[in-house]
Order: sequence, then structure tokens, then C-alpha cells
Amino acid sequence: MNALTVENLSVAYDKKTVLENANVTVPTGRLTAIIGPNGAGKSTFLKAILNQLPNKVGKVEILGKLFDPKSLVVGYVPQRNAVDWDFPTNALDIVLMGRYGHTGLFKRPSKQDKLLAKEALESVGMQEFAERSIGQLSGGQQQRVFLARALAQNANIYFLDEPFAGVDAATEKTIIDILKSLRAQGKSIFVVHHDLQTVKEYFDYTILLNKTILASGNTEDVFTPEQLQETYGGKLFMMQDTIGAEVVC
Amino acid sequence: MTVAIRKIGRSKARSKRNFIKFYKVLTTVIGMKRFLGVVMLMMFLVGCSAENDATGKKEGVVVATTGHIADVIKEIGGDHLTVSALMGPGVDPHLYKATQSDLSKLEKAEVIFYNGLQLEGQMLDIFEQMSKDKTVLAVGDKLDKSKLLDSEDEGLLHDPHIWFNIDLWKQVVDAVAKTLVEEYPEFKDDFKANETAYLKKLDELQSYANKRISEIPDKQRILVTAHDAFNYFGESQGFEVRGLQGLSTEAEYGVKDVQEMVDFLVDNKIKAIFVESSVSDKAMKAVIEGAKQKGHDVAIGGELFSDAMGAEGTEEGTYVGMYQHNIDTIVDALK
Amino acid sequence: MLSGNLLWVLMGTMLLGIAAGITGTFSFLQKQSLVGDAAAHAALPGIALAFLLTGQKDLPILMLGAGITSALSVYCIQWIVSFSKMKADAAIGLVLTVFFGVGVVFLTVVNHSPLGNQSGLNNFIFGKAATMTKADLTWLFISATIIILVSLLFYKEWKVLIFDPVYAKGIGLPIEALKATLTVLIVMTIVTGIQSVGVILMSALLIIPAVSARLWTKKLSSMLVLSAAIGGLSGIVGTFVSATRSGLSTGPLIVLVAAAIFFISYLISPTGQINKFLRKKQFRKQGEIG
Repeated sequence: MNALTVENLSVAYDKKTVLENANVTVPTGRLTAIIGPNGAGKSTFLKAILNQLPNKVGKVEILGKLFDPKSLVVGYVPQRNAVDWDFPTNALDIVLMGRYGHTGLFKRPSKQDKLLAKEALESVGMQEFAERSIGQLSGGQQQRVFLARALAQNANIYFLDEPFAGVDAATEKTIIDILKSLRAQGKSIFVVHHDLQTVKEYFDYTILLNKTILASGNTEDVFTPEQLQETYGGKLFMMQDTIGAEVVC
Repeated sequence: MTVAIRKIGRSKARSKRNFIKFYKVLTTVIGMKRFLGVVMLMMFLVGCSAENDATGKKEGVVVATTGHIADVIKEIGGDHLTVSALMGPGVDPHLYKATQSDLSKLEKAEVIFYNGLQLEGQMLDIFEQMSKDKTVLAVGDKLDKSKLLDSEDEGLLHDPHIWFNIDLWKQVVDAVAKTLVEEYPEFKDDFKANETAYLKKLDELQSYANKRISEIPDKQRILVTAHDAFNYFGESQGFEVRGLQGLSTEAEYGVKDVQEMVDFLVDNKIKAIFVESSVSDKAMKAVIEGAKQKGHDVAIGGELFSDAMGAEGTEEGTYVGMYQHNIDTIVDALK
Repeated sequence: MLSGNLLWVLMGTMLLGIAAGITGTFSFLQKQSLVGDAAAHAALPGIALAFLLTGQKDLPILMLGAGITSALSVYCIQWIVSFSKMKADAAIGLVLTVFFGVGVVFLTVVNHSPLGNQSGLNNFIFGKAATMTKADLTWLFISATIIILVSLLFYKEWKVLIFDPVYAKGIGLPIEALKATLTVLIVMTIVTGIQSVGVILMSALLIIPAVSARLWTKKLSSMLVLSAAIGGLSGIVGTFVSATRSGLSTGPLIVLVAAAIFFISYLISPTGQINKFLRKKQFRKQGEIG
């Protein structure tokens, strides 16, 4: 069984094709980066996989099954923009939301749920902030809370959309350490990532995406200058002595 | 069934196409400007003839606001006048706002009568405007001010519900007749004769009222209605009168007023209260429920005509018939 | 003195206040309070139309009409925003005025008809709480109960949906169904409330208790309870005040009481102005010493 199987996935917005004929298979237990230039369709790809887009064509299988939140728990850390920061809720409350899938409609979260939420908060080092309002946390702290929420879901597969955007170095380290430990437990993690310099260090599997999937495979095989040039279409400035590269617009 | 629908659709499409063809031919053959000219001419002719039809065979066109006044004009004018009332049965004159069609009716009228004393609260500007071109008479203004009842409501100098005092109403009949004679001197004799006959009818009405009201024991002569429309009735016919709302249905009332009414009913052991044809009965029903809760049963004695009369063509659609209906309803419920 | 009519009005306005406090909180957090205003105004044509089409002035029929046009207005706003370049504020303004205008036109037609004024439809503009009876109370009680129960049932789902809609979708919550249920509850509140406070002031009851409650608490659960309490209290106090004198309408007084509670909250709540001022003084003092 593969973590992710995508066959001929195409997505169109307003008569424009954003994603065309994407095909990829990713085995389980990998920490996978999804990279590509701005506007390449990375977030769209993620949303399509998570069945959030109605106008998609093609087949997507997660852990061997079609997406069904009732039978398959998928850990999800979306981009932070759509959140309402004035909402009256605290960190623990937010993490508890990760247990809602398990609790089911019409029921209250159990003591067990609350315990798991507390543990998840601890694992990201935010236990002191349990009662703190979400609006009073810094960017890095917020991101850690949202990661804790996904952890509380206790899934076998995780999808994160640009989790390192706008966070400080310490938080970034915390997060990547947690992701690596999840991989060690045999879980599959997919991350839409924007920083090319850290790809080799963090991820063992890479998907190169620009309107379609140009390449996918082990990072050392795929993350090469030629492949990157093709993905970024000449917008790349390569530095000889570093194995990473910088994107120049 | 779907075949039929498709056929209709096709024929509709066909007739639409035909119309477009016809229109195109017409405008190109005659030319656009001439076409529009023809259209306008046709509209003008149609409009004119319609007006002529409205005035018809009768000679004078008179418009009144309330049904009561219209009835008086009809009685006096007889066959010589076309009379219409702006406010039909069930319409509340305190709240009434004139529409475009009302305005055109007023425009076409030769004489306009209204109650005055601010009964038609929302129409005063219109009467002022109309009075520049024609005779506009507020019948209430023609009455002796000393006979009018004062009002406790702010915004109203006097109680406008004058039609419930038959003596006052006779004076109104007189004022209306005088004005009509001035406007249409050719019908003077008929108008005078009709007026005399009508005044006689009103006298008979008063006797009828006296006779029937004597059936009610003194203590029961308390009339409770939705708003203070019956003060003149009470004063002239010997009733104590209470309304939930003030003189105008625009007046605000609240929980306290409802409670006070309930207490009044319970304390005076009132048998029946009355709803009105042009006012919502919800308040009265709430009052009854309140009294019931305090252990006193009050019935709805019936529906009275307060600011409006009955349907046209019926007995209650005339002033006399309306008044009689009220008397009968009140007496039968309270005796 | 607490009997009969006064008691019914008291209970009715209290129940209304509680229901409005709860649904108003969710509406406020969704940043859709003005949509509630439009929906309330949009109830007017429904009432008039229901009367014109059926000739009945029975409350259930009028309420059904009100509910239909009210819900329709909410979807109209959504369609306009989705399918045109218009932003939400313009769409709301447009829908509110058009629906209300049509309602006034229909009311004029009603007022010119023989049974029109008997129907008492004019009372829906500013409300007429004074004439509440046991039957009205029954409806209010049922509505309020349904609203409270449904809110309890969907509490956590609505919490996620409003706080983080992307995440909610990601974990597979039925977004559209949840939103629709909330809309239905708001419409229900409006429909039962307009008898007491009228279409024009209804939105005040949806907004003020929620906003006041937000000033006092940082948790959703407390905010809901507090908002319901403020709404209910406004109903009770407003009714009491209107019962002291003749000619005082209950609806506007309830709104005034709610506004007063908001004003007091604005001043004395933990995040309020007085505390802010005191904290500033403390800061400055510390600054001088340190």
C-alpha cells in the first residue's frame, strides 16, 4: 500500500487549467516535500487530494482508499490565513478541535480526548499556553498549536501547507523534529514547502510540481539542478558550491 | 404532456418572431419617428376617451375620503353626481397614505370633501395642493367648535370621529348640501329635496337608537372598543366609552394600557367588548385573555364599524345602515 | 402585579432575548451581523405576501411567509457576492433595501384592501409585544427550545467552522449543511422576534447582546451563556420599564436596555475603557519609578 496514489488529476478554475494530468505514487513512511514556483498549483494539489475542490478530475487514493473522513483520519495543518484571530478560544481548545473527528456529531469530547489534547500541546512545547487566547500568541506559537491540533488527530498520514512560513528558527526546529519523529513511527507526511535550502536536510522524498508533476522520488535522485531548472523554468539562480539553490524572480 | 409544452414553446417562439418581424416592417416602412408619433397619438386618444367614459352620463364628479361622507353626497346628489370614496370598507383613515391612482382620482374630481380635524392625518398636504384648483371642503371645519370634543392626544386638537353624533352629522349634511348647491346650481331643487329626505332619515335613526338603547340597563351602558372612536357616540347616546388606543390608531400603547383595560373590565364586570372592522383585533383578544386569567369572562360582542363602513352595495355600506348595525350589535351584546 | 398580560409579555421577551443572544453570537462571530439585519428587514414582504395570497392573518401562516423571504434574502446576498463584482457590504445594502421596499409596497396594497387593517400587519414594522397571549408564548417557547437544543448539538462543529473554515473542510465536516442549519436558526429567531420588536429593531437584539458578552469573556461557551443572559435580561427589564407608563412601546425599550448594558460593559468590563485607563496609569507610574 502506498501513502498517496494520484492518477491523471486535473483541476480547473474559471476555465483556466491550474493542474493538469498529475500522476504520482508515494510509498508510506516518507517525509515528502512538495515544491514548485509560486502559482504552480501546490496548494491546489493539496486541496484536491483532500477532496476540498469539487471541480477536479482524476483519481486520488490515500493509504489505499478514496478520501473519506469518516473512515480515514487525515492530519491537516492548513495555511494560517483563513483563521479568525479574534475568536474567543484558547490554545487547548484549538488542539481539542483535532479530536472532533473522533468524537462524532452531537457528542462532547471525552476525558480521554482532553488528555490527548494536553499531550499534543506538550509535545510541541506549548503546555504553558493552554489557557492563552489565540490572538495573544506569536506566529511561531500559533503554528505550533495548529501542529498540535493535527497531532491530536492521531492520524497515520499528515498534510501540511507551508508550515514554516513566517515562523522563527526555534519553532521551525521544533516542528521538523516532530515531523521526523512521526516518520520514525512509520507515518507518512506531506509538506508543501517553500524554502529550497532546507529540502535536502528535512525531506527524504520530493515531488516537483509546476502545473503538473514533473518528477517525484527520493530527494537525492530528484533534487538535482537539471530537474529544478525544469521545474522553476529559468527563474532559478544556482550556486555552484551549495547543493541547495535560490529562487530569483 | 411534454409534447404539448414543447408545442406551446414553439408557437410562443413563432409568435415572438412574427411580432419582431411586424415591428421591424412597421418601423422601417413608416419610419421610426412617425411610428412613435402614431403610438403617442393613440395613447392620447385612448386616454381621453377613457376619461370620458369615467365621467359617463353623470354630470358632476365628486370625490370624498371616507365612506360616511361619500354616502351623504350620494344621498343628496342622487343621479346627478358620480361619487367615489378613496377609503373603502376596512380602511383606516388615520394611517391611510394616498396612492398614485388616488391622486389621479382627486385630480379628475370637481369637488373634494374630506373629514378634516386631522382624521386623514397623512393626506393634509394633498388637500392643500388640490384646493388651489377646485373646491375642497373639510366638513369638520364647518361645525361649531364648541360642540366638538377635545382630544387628550398630542397632535390632535379635537376628536375627529364626528359622524357618531347624529346631530353633528346633520350639520355636516347641511354643509355638504350648501356646497353642492354652490357648485351645481342647476340641480338646486333636487339637492334640497334630497337633503330634506335624508335629514328625516337621520331623525328616524336617532329615534331607533333611543328605543333600542333603552333596553340596556344603566349600569351596562359601557362601550369598550379598540380605539377611542366612539366618544361622540358615547356623549350623544349616553354611554361611558373606553378605547384601548387613543384617538388615532397611530397612537402607541403598551403593556400598561393593556393591564389598565383588563382591570377596567374586571372592576366594572363588563359583559362584552367590541372589535372594529378597520383595526386589528389582536389587542382586544389579549385583553379578553387577561381578564379571563383574572377570573372574569368577557365576550366579543361583535364587530363595529368605527372609521370605515361596510361593503358597498350592502345595508352596512350606507351611513344609516352602518349606524344601525352598530346600535344593534351593541344593544344585543350588552342588554 | 405579576400576572396575566404582563407575565406573558415578560416571559415572551425573555425567551426571545435568550434565543437572539445565542444565534446572534454565532452570527456575530461569523462577521455576518449585517446579514441578520437584511434578513430581518426581508421578513416584511413575506408577511404581507402570505396575507395577500391566503387571506389569513393566522400567525403560523404569516411566520411561514416571513421565514421564506428572510431565508431567500440571505441566499440572494450570497449569490450576488459569488456571481458579481459586488462586495458583501454593497450586496447586503442592496438586498436589505430592495426587500424592505417591496415589503412596504405590499403593505400599502394590504392597507387599501377591506380586510387589510384588521390583519394588524403594520405592527410587524416596530413590533407589538404588549398584545402577546398564551398562544404566542407557546410558539416562542418552542422556538427558543429548538434554538437552544440545536445550538448545543452543533456547538463544536460550528466552533470549528467559524474559527477555521479551511481546517473544518479538511477534516470532512459538512460545511454547507452546517451553515444552512445556522441560517435556519437565525431566520427562526428573526421570525419569532419580529412580533415583539419588529423588523427594524430585530437586528439590534441579534447584535448587541453578543457584542456585549464578547467584552467580558475569552471563551466561546461563556460568551454564549452571557449573551443569552444579556438578551433575556434586556427583555425582562425592557418590559418592566414599558409597564410603568401608558403609551410606552415595549420593543424599542428592550433595545434601549440592551444598548445600556453594552455601554456599561464597554466601560467596566475587564477589557473595557475604565480598566484600560487604570492600567495605563499603572504603566506610567511604573515607568516613572523604573
